[in-house]
Amino acid sequence: MPYTVALIGNPNVGKSVVFNNLVPGARQHVGNWPGKTVDKKTGRFSHRGTEIDVVDLPGTYSLTARAVDELIARNFIVEEKPDVVVNIVDASNLERNLYLTLLLFELNTNVVVALNMMDIAEEKGYEIDVENLSERIGVPVVPIVATKKQGMDRLKDAILEAVKRKGVTETKITYGEKIEKLVDSIITIIHKDTGLAEKYPARWMAIKLLEKDEDILEKIKGSTVEDEILEALA
Amino acid sequence: MSAQEVLGEDPEIALADKRYEIIGEILETSLVRGRRKWSSSDMLDKVFLHKWLGIPVFLSFMWMLFQFSIETSGVYMTIIEEFFGWLGGLSGGIPNELVASLIGDGLFGGLGAVLVFVPPIFFTFLGLSILEDSGYLARAAFVVDRIMYKLGLNGRSFIPMLLGFGCNVPAIMACRSIEGEKDRLITILVNPLMSCGARLPVYVLIAGAFFSARQAGSIIWSMYILGIVLAIIVAFTLRRTLLKGEPAPFIMELPTYKAPTFHGSIIHMWERGVVFLKKAGTYLLGAAILLWFMITFPLGAPPERTYVGMIGHIVEPVLRPLGFDWRIGAALVFGLLAKEVFIEALGVIYAVEGEAAIATALTSSFTALQGVAIMVFVLIYIPCVAAVATVKAETGSWKWTIFGVVYQTVLAYVVSLLVLVIGGALGF
Repeated sequence: MPYTVALIGNPNVGKSVVFNNLVPGARQHVGNWPGKTVDKKTGRFSHRGTEIDVVDLPGTYSLTARAVDELIARNFIVEEKPDVVVNIVDASNLERNLYLTLLLFELNTNVVVALNMMDIAEEKGYEIDVENLSERIGVPVVPIVATKKQGMDRLKDAILEAVKRKGVTETKITYGEKIEKLVDSIITIIHKDTGLAEKYPARWMAIKLLEKDEDILEKIKGSTVEDEILEALA
Repeated sequence: MSAQEVLGEDPEIALADKRYEIIGEILETSLVRGRRKWSSSDMLDKVFLHKWLGIPVFLSFMWMLFQFSIETSGVYMTIIEEFFGWLGGLSGGIPNELVASLIGDGLFGGLGAVLVFVPPIFFTFLGLSILEDSGYLARAAFVVDRIMYKLGLNGRSFIPMLLGFGCNVPAIMACRSIEGEKDRLITILVNPLMSCGARLPVYVLIAGAFFSARQAGSIIWSMYILGIVLAIIVAFTLRRTLLKGEPAPFIMELPTYKAPTFHGSIIHMWERGVVFLKKAGTYLLGAAILLWFMITFPLGAPPERTYVGMIGHIVEPVLRPLGFDWRIGAALVFGLLAKEVFIEALGVIYAVEGEAAIATALTSSFTALQGVAIMVFVLIYIPCVAAVATVKAETGSWKWTIFGVVYQTVLAYVVSLLVLVIGGALGF
């Protein structure tokens, strides 16, 4: 069975270019404006003898339940559980792009960050300490310039390593004492319904429930602990 | 403490704030921002996104696009036309009269009539690709969005609308990225008002028949603008009546300007244009044969008594106030298959009637003002069956699908009538 790798990132960060670079013969339409990939596209490549399936997810800024493309992206990650999630990040716009990265950490995924558009970041006068960034967020970070096919081999190596390493990114985002207390109390309730806790990452569910995420509220319907959760959220 | 007390009115924002705080901490040690240079991208944006200049700049770019594609393609269109005329002449030598008519009138008259429009389609797509690759198209979306947002429409709507200039089917699917069901519905319902690539040949044919090459570009441009304006009006009306609510806030990322590459723009043009060629080789070929059968049988009947004639005569009374005859009526009905079939239908009807060129046949039976009314009708009335099916699939509702079909038909009728009345009063 080949491994599965999902590509995710904000709109217009070059996901389709990376996809085309990874998958031989792929000719995804690449447009210079955000929002063109609304469905997921798949392809396959082989690196150092290992077969890897690539899924190009629609570009999203966030992973809420409000827009269909965000739901497509997050449902794929939660339900299909790809072996590695490659988060393509626009190096010239780190602040907004890392938002999605943090959300991915909550989904119990195995994240590799591809830092794309390094050339534009440099033009803007940004100096990025890649090692420090990698250390701070606790995942491999590979600088690339997808349009010039720079760094693609290193990205493939990083994907391969991550695939072999298995496991999930353990970086934990902590929201401060008060919020964490709420999160913990909801996690405790979720764990009482083992079926629910096995299906979805409990901490992620707890955070989404606090955000009043419609999709998750729908998913806990019929659970033995539904009433208890709703009470805790009030 | 209760969840409400800790997180406040909007927990999503409270948590998002916290996440940005964490990102700030991470970047403190890993990112050094150099002195930001005043880039050429900033300078261009100052003008292109300007509060007052933005719209005029957008309109001029679009105008240039159509002027370019019409003036450039003229020569190539003549070559293709001559070629099909020559082929048509050859088919006259086929001894079996029926086969000669199928090939001469059906294939060369019908399908040939559509293939003449390959050059303007490719040049328009080339222009659009250059605008897209340069990064300008996204600015155009932003500028038009600003108006739409002020009118209470979702800011993300214009992106699917831009796609609509190519084909409404993927454009309607792209509405999935719009947050909020009501916003999404509105955008889906107005999307067919964006002039898709299939409508371009109809515009080129009619504008080319009634106006000089110099004016034709402007006339076609005004059809595109009319579509956008109507979309805004319809969306605004829906927002105030059936689909009340506030639009979701909107953040749009503007890509950096890039010099379009020759290779890239040609590939984009090809990717979009080849869809038309494939359609011509399959769907439109089938439609031409179907049309030929329907206008040849019952055998021996004059054109207005054939099946196509019968269909035309059924809708003619309704279209009479607009001055459309049964031929236009039949072409409009067949145009539901795909809007290019509108041209095929006219091509086959006139060919069977012994007219060589659609353009001269049109100018001898209609005034320029009526020509504009026909274009307006084709712009607004029911999009092709594929688009209607996509609306059904994406809304999941027959009610909204039928609503779309009905409002587009009524609107087409009303606006065409207005064009005739107002144009007539102005003395055109």
